[in-house]
Amino acid sequence: MKKRLGDYVLAFLIILILNFILPRLMPGDPITAIYGDALVEMSPELEAHLLERYGLERSLPEQFYLYLLHFFQGDLGYSFYFHAPVSHVLAGALPWTLLLAGVALACSALLGIVWGAEAGSRRGSLFDRASLITALFLNGIPGFLVGILLLLFLGFYAGWFPLSGAASVHLDYTGWAWVQDILSHLFLPALTLTLVQLPRNFLLMRSSLLGVMEKPYVTTARCKGIKERLVRYRHALKGALPPVVTRLGMSVGLLFTGVLFVEVVFAYPGMGHLFFLALQYHDYPVVHGCLLVITVCVLMFNLLADLISIKLDPRLKEDAR
Amino acid sequence: MHVNYWDEIKKDNLGRTGLLLITVLAVVALGAPLLAPYNPWEYVAPSLSPPSWGHPLGTNDVGQDIFSELLYGTRTTLLVSVTAAFFSTLISLVLGVVAGLRRGLPERLVLRLVDVMLVIPVFLVALLVAAYFQPGMTTLIVLFSLLLWPPGTRIIWNRVLSLKHQAHFTAARQFGAGTAYLVGRHLVPELYPLLAVNFIQVVRRAVFMEAGLAFLGVFDPAAKSWGLMLHYAREFIFTDAWQWWLLPPGLAVSLTIIAFALVGYSLEAALDPRMRRQTYADH
Repeated sequence: MKKRLGDYVLAFLIILILNFILPRLMPGDPITAIYGDALVEMSPELEAHLLERYGLERSLPEQFYLYLLHFFQGDLGYSFYFHAPVSHVLAGALPWTLLLAGVALACSALLGIVWGAEAGSRRGSLFDRASLITALFLNGIPGFLVGILLLLFLGFYAGWFPLSGAASVHLDYTGWAWVQDILSHLFLPALTLTLVQLPRNFLLMRSSLLGVMEKPYVTTARCKGIKERLVRYRHALKGALPPVVTRLGMSVGLLFTGVLFVEVVFAYPGMGHLFFLALQYHDYPVVHGCLLVITVCVLMFNLLADLISIKLDPRLKEDAR
Repeated sequence: MHVNYWDEIKKDNLGRTGLLLITVLAVVALGAPLLAPYNPWEYVAPSLSPPSWGHPLGTNDVGQDIFSELLYGTRTTLLVSVTAAFFSTLISLVLGVVAGLRRGLPERLVLRLVDVMLVIPVFLVALLVAAYFQPGMTTLIVLFSLLLWPPGTRIIWNRVLSLKHQAHFTAARQFGAGTAYLVGRHLVPELYPLLAVNFIQVVRRAVFMEAGLAFLGVFDPAAKSWGLMLHYAREFIFTDAWQWWLLPPGLAVSLTIIAFALVGYSLEAALDPRMRRQTYADH
């Protein structure tokens, strides 16, 4: 476990260093590189303040020290596009992303596990082969295309769901109506993300189960006359689940990549959408802040998955040491 | 494991479909200038015209022929993804073999780096770096090659560990073969199937990443790329134009990814004895 933690810390450091070094590698004025073209009309006082804040006239190691200091104080800079500290901008977006990613992760994991278990335990059957081909094809369709098509058909043509955003802007709903409003905005993005994640989870679960179904203990359970459904979900699942959970945790990076596209397509006001906006307006402090926070999320989900798989399969504890 | 992989893929329906699709894509990519009715960089008709006999997919917002754009887009996609897959597989091969043969510090360094790289969200890093450079094809190839090698390295390292204790390997060493000869003559040929699988996986990921970056508008705006077409078409999706402007490049990206996934799946099935047994039992 200590080694895994070390990996996470190193990964995080690499992202920090990338964020630090990229703007400083750019030709020209580092302030413009850090703050983008937004600062055309920069007053001399502001310029002096920024030079001071980033320590741009000092040596690189000193700049890095300042950078780390600010980071651990929660100071990620100031967004000139949103006219607010970056940390405030990010704090407004993060809950939406976590909601969307969480719902999609739960749905796609659950559906993928059940689908994979059903198909894998009937290996070679028509259902299994049809599922496999469906999953292979579905897996190839990029999330943004799935999103746009759902948006067009279920949102625009059918008119069942709102086309963008996470809540109706000018209406002040309260109580139940508010929850309904949030859910109706969440539905299409969450559906898209679930559809994008599902085939992967299905394939993982199916192949993991295929390995387990041949184990002697599963045969024993069958011979004891236990019902097939119980063998599948009580016995085989227990053996097949830990690797799936680990892989799920490792694929959280993909989940957040998916979130980025889905949020852009549906203009869902989370981190991905923010990242995209900031990129368009060259608001680099926000770009860096987004990337840092998303990386932290990914690393934490990874860690969580590691802990859960150890819980599910205590044998892993010895490997992890 | 002496199996004729080529035959295995051709026998498998999924693999055959994938190969067919890839062949079509390759032909389109090579023959784009001959096949395309117009120069996709030129204004050829009023902008936003719907499909007609002269312009099967209509024209885009600056009056360029969409069908010709689509054909030229194949070039960008395949060139970026295949080249990036080649270099990234090469990195995996070198690092995997070094780590497998030189146990101790080199191995620990490589494995640690792989573990760390595996938890980093690759696409987001690519996006960050690309955002600074407004990249063309070369930048993307370098970027993808540097980001997509870790999974393959781990697999190759693992295989090298088991290969180097095999009898023919030990025998060759006993006869006095040097490390270079051993690696070139005995080790690398045994790795070909794994390298092929890895190559295909990386192509698939690179196609997705290229399309994704371009869809977000982070790509040389003058290039012809499916993702970029999607990017421009997205502003017009609530008109009928999505049918001929957005859907074709979207399907092209999907079909390319699916084609490589099918070949990859069927190749992996041929490699994995557990799955092989099943296919024989089926017949």
